[in-house]
Amino acid sequence: MRQLINAILKYKNTLIYLGLLILSLIFLNQRSFYHQSIFSNASLVLSSNFNLIGKNFANYIDLAEQNEKLLAENEKLKTLELIQFGEQSQKNKTLDSFGFEVSTARIIKNSYSNARNYLIIDKGYRDGMEIEMGVISSDGVIGVINQVTSNFSSVLSILHRDLKINAGFKKNGAYGSLFWEGSHPRIMKLDDISTLNPVAVGDTIVTGGMSDYFPYGIPIGTILNFEKPKLEGYYDIEIELFSNLTQKEFVYVVKNKKIDQLKQLIYE
Amino acid sequence: MNSDNIISIFQFIFLLFLQAFLLNNINLFGFINPNLYLLFIVVFPLNSNSTLLIVLGFLLGLLLDLLTQGSGGHTIASLTIAFLRPYIVKFSFGVNYEIPLGMIQGSLPSQRLLYLTLVIFVHHLVLFSVIYFSFDNIITIIKNTLFTSFFTFILIYISLGLFKEKK
Repeated sequence: MRQLINAILKYKNTLIYLGLLILSLIFLNQRSFYHQSIFSNASLVLSSNFNLIGKNFANYIDLAEQNEKLLAENEKLKTLELIQFGEQSQKNKTLDSFGFEVSTARIIKNSYSNARNYLIIDKGYRDGMEIEMGVISSDGVIGVINQVTSNFSSVLSILHRDLKINAGFKKNGAYGSLFWEGSHPRIMKLDDISTLNPVAVGDTIVTGGMSDYFPYGIPIGTILNFEKPKLEGYYDIEIELFSNLTQKEFVYVVKNKKIDQLKQLIYE
Repeated sequence: MNSDNIISIFQFIFLLFLQAFLLNNINLFGFINPNLYLLFIVVFPLNSNSTLLIVLGFLLGLLLDLLTQGSGGHTIASLTIAFLRPYIVKFSFGVNYEIPLGMIQGSLPSQRLLYLTLVIFVHHLVLFSVIYFSFDNIITIIKNTLFTSFFTFILIYISLGLFKEKK
């Protein structure tokens, strides 16, 4: 204690100076708006820098939890978006009668260089997955589930020579079948578009509502080029996909709630 | 209370009122106000309590600011110069110098000149830095410092000369 007092007494001039300096700075702050704005600006810069560092650190720790929340929100928003696509076709659908259920999933294994590509996602029949459910992503179509175990499912990728999905033009509803020839992971072919329909490079192709797997209106890609062969009544159209299937991590699985009824109609 | 203290108090009050009511209205060339109140800090007895000087300097600047509706620059400047005065004395007069009198006698004129110039210059630098408080206006700060300290120096030198003749 005595040493503390001795230390204070040794530096008393400096201490008194600093104390009075702080007092006079407060006085300055109060008397002059200009100085007040400078001080508050400086204190804002200082405090915000320190807060940013701490916040970055806390954010990093919370990343897993934030990801879960974002996935859940995305599920809801994707349903709304799909409904929106459906409404553009001018059919009268309300929210309750939208026939698709959306859930998120994560890709565990992907492939895109074989002739027949499959993906594995981390949801199985315990999470409500069934075969023949459609799988879409934020910017396009991924494929169809073809096999289900308790915790995982195998998805037939759209980059599969044997898979054809129903796709059509956004502008006028003319539809055909979209399939992959195996050349490039982003280029597919659209067949069965009659030459009666107007076709131009850059037209958007969406899912037609005719398939059981996907709802209407999901954007798939744009027309890269097309040819009109002389002896046929159908175009040869090349499509460039919107989505890059080599880098996907999160997908949405859509379940058609009415698929049992549709199946009964087809197979009877 | 001995005569030294009474003289100091009288100087304090006199310089304060002179500065507030007369000298701050001069406005030479539009912006120069010589700061004669610094005389108090210059002639404060060099052997007395430096802590007292710090408090007195603070009071002088504070009262001046209150009287002239200033924003607080004089407070900080006179406080700082009161704190720094012992170091400037040591720097200009050498470490071993011991002055019993209030007026600076028995020392080289060059040392006295250095002491005066340093005190005035540092005080005005701090004063204008606080008033403008930004690097963008640094030219204004330097200009004001140089001109005002020049005129203050002239005034203080004349006052010191007047006082010296009495003794």
